[in-house]
Amino acid sequence: MLTLSSVTKRYGSLTALDDVSLNIARGEFFGLLGPNGAGKSTLMSLISGLRAPDAGTLNLDGQPLTAADTNARMSLGLVPQHIALYSELSAEQNLRIFGSLYGLRGSDLSDRIDAALNAVQLTDRRKDAVKTYSGGMQRRLNLVAALLHRPKLLLCDEPTVGIDPQSRNAIFEYLEGLNRDGLTIIYSTHYMEEATRLCSRIGIIDHGKLHALGTLDELLAQLPFEEEIRFPANPETAPLAEQLAAQGELQTREDIHRFRPHPKSKLSDFYTFTESLGLPARLFTRQRPTLEALFLHLTGRSIRDA
Amino acid sequence: MSIILILCRKDFANFFRNKAAVSLTFIVPFALIYLFGQIFGVNSSDSGPRGIPLAVVNASANPAAAKLVDALKTEKSFHVLTQYVNPDQSTRPLTEADARALMQATDPDFRFTLIIPTDLISDDSFGLHLKILSNPRNDIETQTVYGILQKAIFSNVPALLGQSLQSSARKYLGASGAKQFNRRIATAVAASFGGDPKEIEHHIESGGIPLRRLNTNDPAPSGTATPVANPNSKIETQKSADIFSKIVQIDNEQVVGAKVKSPAATRIVGGWAIQFLLFALAASATALFRERDAGIFQRLLAAPVTRAQILWSKFLYGISIGLTQLMVLFFAGHILFGIEVLPHLPLLILVCIFAAASCTSFGMLLAAISPNAEAASGLATFLILLMSSLGGAWFPVSIMPEFIQQLSKLTLVYWSMEGFTSVLWAGHSFMQILPILGILGGITAGVMALSIWRFNRGRLFE
Repeated sequence: MLTLSSVTKRYGSLTALDDVSLNIARGEFFGLLGPNGAGKSTLMSLISGLRAPDAGTLNLDGQPLTAADTNARMSLGLVPQHIALYSELSAEQNLRIFGSLYGLRGSDLSDRIDAALNAVQLTDRRKDAVKTYSGGMQRRLNLVAALLHRPKLLLCDEPTVGIDPQSRNAIFEYLEGLNRDGLTIIYSTHYMEEATRLCSRIGIIDHGKLHALGTLDELLAQLPFEEEIRFPANPETAPLAEQLAAQGELQTREDIHRFRPHPKSKLSDFYTFTESLGLPARLFTRQRPTLEALFLHLTGRSIRDA
Repeated sequence: MSIILILCRKDFANFFRNKAAVSLTFIVPFALIYLFGQIFGVNSSDSGPRGIPLAVVNASANPAAAKLVDALKTEKSFHVLTQYVNPDQSTRPLTEADARALMQATDPDFRFTLIIPTDLISDDSFGLHLKILSNPRNDIETQTVYGILQKAIFSNVPALLGQSLQSSARKYLGASGAKQFNRRIATAVAASFGGDPKEIEHHIESGGIPLRRLNTNDPAPSGTATPVANPNSKIETQKSADIFSKIVQIDNEQVVGAKVKSPAATRIVGGWAIQFLLFALAASATALFRERDAGIFQRLLAAPVTRAQILWSKFLYGISIGLTQLMVLFFAGHILFGIEVLPHLPLLILVCIFAAASCTSFGMLLAAISPNAEAASGLATFLILLMSSLGGAWFPVSIMPEFIQQLSKLTLVYWSMEGFTSVLWAGHSFMQILPILGILGGITAGVMALSIWRFNRGRLFE
């Protein structure tokens, strides 16, 4: 559906996107994962026509997607990172304005507004000024404002920034429903949990480069280990930590040791060794490798530190 | 106390980080003080207004009239115009009919005309007769011009009155009788005070002596008695003026705006209207930054909307709001002060549209050249105050230095006020206000082109 070929974007001497190629299929829920400043928003702005690339091409359904082509934007919906709404106006007024920009008029527009407000549980507050809404309500309205014209491709640029877990969950469920109904979604985030939960395929981006691309399993398979063992960092486990450094990758953060054994290591050998040190098994938890570990592996730094 | 100081220091740090606040605090007052200093000639050895256009029609054959014209030409406050320029650029002496026509057309050079009629000095009566035609579109300017003009006329009255006396004497005594009378007076003066009797007789015949002493500010002609210093000279001068005002008949005729019912309000309403409009539209221009910061432009541009459409929608909004505000203001002036709006409504709306368009383009330019809303707001305050003072919203342009008068014609305030004055004060027709509309339209087009060019190079939409 959407194809990016060797797309590059520069701001002066800064290369925000560096030779990015990407192919997104119809009906896909694609996640763009990276820290702040990685190039996610720049990529979103190129797809949405806000900016033009310095090099490379973008195609939507086989047609070139250019900043000047306003017709192509009928197929796109953008949920900006900011609450891009007129705060003095009501939810209904906002939706009427944004719907009208896509040529919607009359009863068709009214019906869609009713349905959108109902979907995000804002029908009761439809006449109230948006500035009187909670952060979660504003986020929900920000989302449906991009959907009135029923786009083929929805671009969500970090749509859950700064909201409570309940509202976030409501947005996740709404997006998952839309995707089940066939809407193609590109979702940018720096939250690994969001990408893990929502996205069928994920691209990991940092410093303008697309470092990895694939399903969650495909990405995690790129890691040289299958499991991570976590245990507390304290004097009791200090001798173990010293010994393990030679048997795999050991990292310590927030009083937790994270040990990733070499692929050829046997888990039974690890537990035999810990028993010999008198450490009870309850201290150790086994976890599947995470996207965070992958990001660390690919970029050499934690996504939270980036 | 230390907490107070810490918080106070924080405010200073914030203040100096805000360039708009710093410029408003320091640069704007400095610029305005400089401008006012220029206007009022502070520290200038040669203060006062300069170059106010004054048309002079000299219909009198009396040589004294030519002297009066020469005296007016030496008056630095006036730029005296005595010639009518034909379409082929040839010139001829200005007539009263020419002056009236040009004044009614509100030619900026023809706001005041001094008519020296054929009966300046009559054989039938003692005294002088002059006429002033005026277009008192600005009260301060009119008072200034009248004051300077009266001073210039009265400074020359003694010589003119002397001639009036001589003329009367010749009528009643005959030429030879009058000459004999003058010779006897000259002989008596020479005998009493000294001097050459022939020279004194010549001065008497030219009308130079008899009333010269009344005006103690003027040096006596050579060969005549020098006025004695008088400690009560001010009182004496006042008495002279009283005498002059009785024997110098000046007919005033208001050529333009005579039928305006509320002249004072009509004169000032344009200046205030345009200032309010500029402040309102500058504030709405800063809304562009709020929309950018809220990500609304990002949403709009992701829709089938172009940058140009966003800018033109803002332009249309500015004109609509500006037109509404101006009309509300003029109707308020109509209700409260009796400004005649209804007879001029169609043309007034037209001028308001063009004025609102130029003010909107100014607001767009502010947004285009400013990095953020705070900077735009500071720059707006500075430019609005500067344009208002330069453009004549506070003081008449004609009392400003000549180079500032030229600058004022580059401001939209000046041309907007010209438009309001033409319609409400002079009652002009569409064809007569067309040049003003053209200039306002030109300013709008130029400023909008510059704004759009800057918007395309700037980062407002990114």
